[in-house]
Amino acid sequence: MAALLVAGCGPMSRTHRDPGNSHEVVTSAPAPAPGEAHAEIRVQGGRVSPPSGWLEARRGQPVRITVTSDVADELHVHGYDVEAELPPGVPVTVRFPAELTGVFEVETHESKLVLTQLAVR
Amino acid sequence: MTGSLDGVLAHGIGTRSDLPIPAFYAYAGAFAALVVSFLALGLLWADSRFSGDRAGRVVALRLPARPARVLTLLAVVYTAGLLLFGPDTDNPAPYLVYVLFWVGLVPASLLFGPVWRTLNPFRLLPDRPRRALPSRLGYWPAGAGLLAFTWMELVAPEPAAPLTLLIFFILYAATQLTGTLVYGHAWLERGDPFEAYSTLIGHLSPLGRRADGRRVLRNPFDGLDAIAPAPGLVATVCVLLGSTGYDGFSTAPAWVDALQSGPLGRTGLGTLGLLAAIAGVAALYAACLGVAGLIGGARGLAPRFAHSLIPIAIGYLIAHYFSLLVIEGQRAVILTLGLDAEVAQDVVGPGTIATVQVLAIVAGHVAGVVAAHDRSVRLLPPARAVAGQIPLFVLMVCYTLGGLTLLFAA
Repeated sequence: MAALLVAGCGPMSRTHRDPGNSHEVVTSAPAPAPGEAHAEIRVQGGRVSPPSGWLEARRGQPVRITVTSDVADELHVHGYDVEAELPPGVPVTVRFPAELTGVFEVETHESKLVLTQLAVR
Repeated sequence: MTGSLDGVLAHGIGTRSDLPIPAFYAYAGAFAALVVSFLALGLLWADSRFSGDRAGRVVALRLPARPARVLTLLAVVYTAGLLLFGPDTDNPAPYLVYVLFWVGLVPASLLFGPVWRTLNPFRLLPDRPRRALPSRLGYWPAGAGLLAFTWMELVAPEPAAPLTLLIFFILYAATQLTGTLVYGHAWLERGDPFEAYSTLIGHLSPLGRRADGRRVLRNPFDGLDAIAPAPGLVATVCVLLGSTGYDGFSTAPAWVDALQSGPLGRTGLGTLGLLAAIAGVAALYAACLGVAGLIGGARGLAPRFAHSLIPIAIGYLIAHYFSLLVIEGQRAVILTLGLDAEVAQDVVGPGTIATVQVLAIVAGHVAGVVAAHDRSVRLLPPARAVAGQIPLFVLMVCYTLGGLTLLFAA
């Protein structure tokens, strides 16, 4: 299943295999950390709330994205290639340092929704 | 779901897009464009200086076109093989099409002239026209082909999926094959979207090609002046400008939100947005050229100024594709050759990208103004040439400020 989902994203960067680009996934309630760029996003009935916008971060700043989806899905942060399974109704948090500059889509694979765009300056 | 990218990625492919340019860059670029336009009105020459197709020094250059076309054909077969039988993940084929071929044609044509004409594998077919190419076709087939390609790149649900690319290129090949069998090679010049694209951009190359086939070293402005007005030329240039403009605003959060929550669906609204961008560019062109004709006392100016939009379109293309070429171009090479290397994502920083973007837009604007000025003093009566140019410069300032706004705000 996971292999199929990864294949679904097709040609993509390999940065997630690099050392120094590690990321962690937690399924418990996230502990707030100072200085993080963070977004909390819900997907319900194919709608994204808050509506897809921008998540601004400085280069090197830690990023935390919490997503709750009403259906099983997979989260993908493009460019950083951070991925996480989204079980229905369970908030999932991904954390990683913003090490690449540019604008990167944060999206779901199954419902193909752009949740937000991560803008790292 | 093999080898596809999802979401509404700009450029059909890639994992990142560019940050907005800093406000200082946007204002500096806008200021430079305005100052150059007004200086051009007052200071540039009063008599036409560009001599189009007659200009330049002939260089004895015989290109090995046949071997080059055979090599291109092999590359095409290899890419088709990758699309059909390639790996599901990390398939290099979409990168070869969208990055090396489509984006790479811009710098290659700017440096070496009409490169796709030299490489076009359809020119391996015999040139035996059964009928003369109707002159009213002009650039319309190329314009339609470019619209189809940019629709696939920017709007199609799965732009990088092998199935999408196979459908496009089977239709493309069938069209070129039929066109060449009926009209001979004359078809390819105006009917092959990639050849028309590469040749139009190649008119700005110092290494030019005259209509009689001789290669010349010439002033790029003479090359630009040599573009012959033809039906559909304005439409083709508007497709290039409008689609690149749409590419600029398609990642804006408000548009992304409208695409995925609107009643029309992603593809429906995306198609409308792309067509609206092209129609907007064309309407502005028609309105400003109409006013220029009224002021200058001349009719039928629209096709005769289309060449001056080519540098502006190239400026847009460079601004939108520069980072894609230097970053995703690496991935195309790494995946195709199976290298054990990683893409250096930070090979160009945000400052460099913003500088290249603004310089490309402003340089395109300046070249467009100069080309339009020379054409005006040739076509309009001397007493009205300066006033007649004002709508043209308003048009170009609109395109340039529009381009900078897209880079700044989206």
